[in-house]
Amino acid sequence: MHIMEGFLPSPWWQVWFLVSLPFIIIGLYQLNRLVQEKREALPLLAVAGAFVFVLSSLKLPSFNGSCSHPTGTGLGGVLFGPCIAAVLGLIVLVFQAVFLAHGGITTLGANVFSMGIAGPAVAYLIYKAGTRAGVNTYATIFLAAALADLVTYVVTSVQLALAFPGTAGFLGAFSAFAAIFAVTQVPLAIIEGAVIMLVFKYIVQLKPEILTRLDLLSESTIRKLREAAA
Amino acid sequence: MYEMLEDFAQENGLRETSPGLKLFIGISSILLCVSSPAPVAPLLVAASMSAAVLALAHIPARVYARLLLIPVSFAVMSIVVVLFTTGSGAVLFEVPGLPLAVTADGANLALLLLARVFGGMCSLYFIALTTPMAEVFDILRRLRVPAVFIDLAMLTYRFIFILLEEAGQIYRSQVMRLGYGRFRESVRSFGMLAGALFIRTWESGEALVLAMDARCYDGKLGIPGETRPVSFIALAATLLYLGAVFGVSLRTGGLVLV
Repeated sequence: MHIMEGFLPSPWWQVWFLVSLPFIIIGLYQLNRLVQEKREALPLLAVAGAFVFVLSSLKLPSFNGSCSHPTGTGLGGVLFGPCIAAVLGLIVLVFQAVFLAHGGITTLGANVFSMGIAGPAVAYLIYKAGTRAGVNTYATIFLAAALADLVTYVVTSVQLALAFPGTAGFLGAFSAFAAIFAVTQVPLAIIEGAVIMLVFKYIVQLKPEILTRLDLLSESTIRKLREAAA
Repeated sequence: MYEMLEDFAQENGLRETSPGLKLFIGISSILLCVSSPAPVAPLLVAASMSAAVLALAHIPARVYARLLLIPVSFAVMSIVVVLFTTGSGAVLFEVPGLPLAVTADGANLALLLLARVFGGMCSLYFIALTTPMAEVFDILRRLRVPAVFIDLAMLTYRFIFILLEEAGQIYRSQVMRLGYGRFRESVRSFGMLAGALFIRTWESGEALVLAMDARCYDGKLGIPGETRPVSFIALAATLLYLGAVFGVSLRTGGLVLV
């Protein structure tokens, strides 16, 4: 859910820039260290960023024919951790604002927080909790991607309701925004969960070394998953 | 579509103008739009930016109109909520059977937001259609943005075009084989597309690592930058224009249209 250029009035767009800033700084710091340790990380992160951009510029099949697109942020969070995903999110959002008119420059802070920070953080936490608890890997991925999408949309509704409480107050405005976006976002979250799950399945079947190199899955888990599929 | 934007950025009427000046005009206009308390100044920005894009940069009017239509659906959805939740002042319109009403304040706020979004969009397209990304990266580097961030952004940018082409090919071949005929099939096909794309993406990333290593990549990408001086007249005109918009925004502060 992108907030458009010009939509957030003054104090709020500055506030969200300030909220997002520490995450971006930590992300840049981690990125610097990662690139110095492993030089090959930079091009791989770049293709992941481009992948998120391309995924979000394609239209998803949707129930109500509305123009909805996946965010892909859940995948970024699971693969690289929330802080580096925030930096990737920032880059992708700038390109989306300039090329697709999704989002904007002043609303960048708010959009980075909802899509680059809150979504990936939730996806990352769910993935960690799920693997520790030994839940089925595909079910964990589905949950992580779907909930990352849902959290993104809830955070966007909060951001809009804070900026435009109206006479109904914050809670009234929040429920109004949440209700109108739910029409497209709830089915979208479920579809995105399913799509990311399928992506993961293809990676396990065709190129599992990506996952072992990122320390996401051990080789024994992958062997088990491939045997189950065969 | 996206290549088209970049093509226009590479060869438009304002190509030789200093990229710093163009960015400065675009971003200042956006800030003026957001801070304006009345819809007049943002509409003025929208009109002048559109005039600059059409008359100075020679972008075809049909292309520009199509670009402006992209964000409409996003804008409408959010503005409707603001229209109905901001309720004080005279009631202008009531939805029969539902506790929903449009009031004067709500209508004014919605109008203001619409004007700001429109002005902001025109300024964004002004930047996108006149300034190639490579020059933006050069400016970022001079502003001391961390090198690792700029390198990552440049590589991401490069890969977007390659991947879009590839995604388009996969998508078209799926459509030809009726891959998006029914809902279940479309989810499956889309997952297949995304999965195949991810793996191909990753492989091209690894190929890039090899290619860069072979050319002595040491963790830094060099980009040759050229500086184009800002002419005094251009700078004066820019400041005059921004000052005028700011003046209009101050003068129309208390004005409400409904």
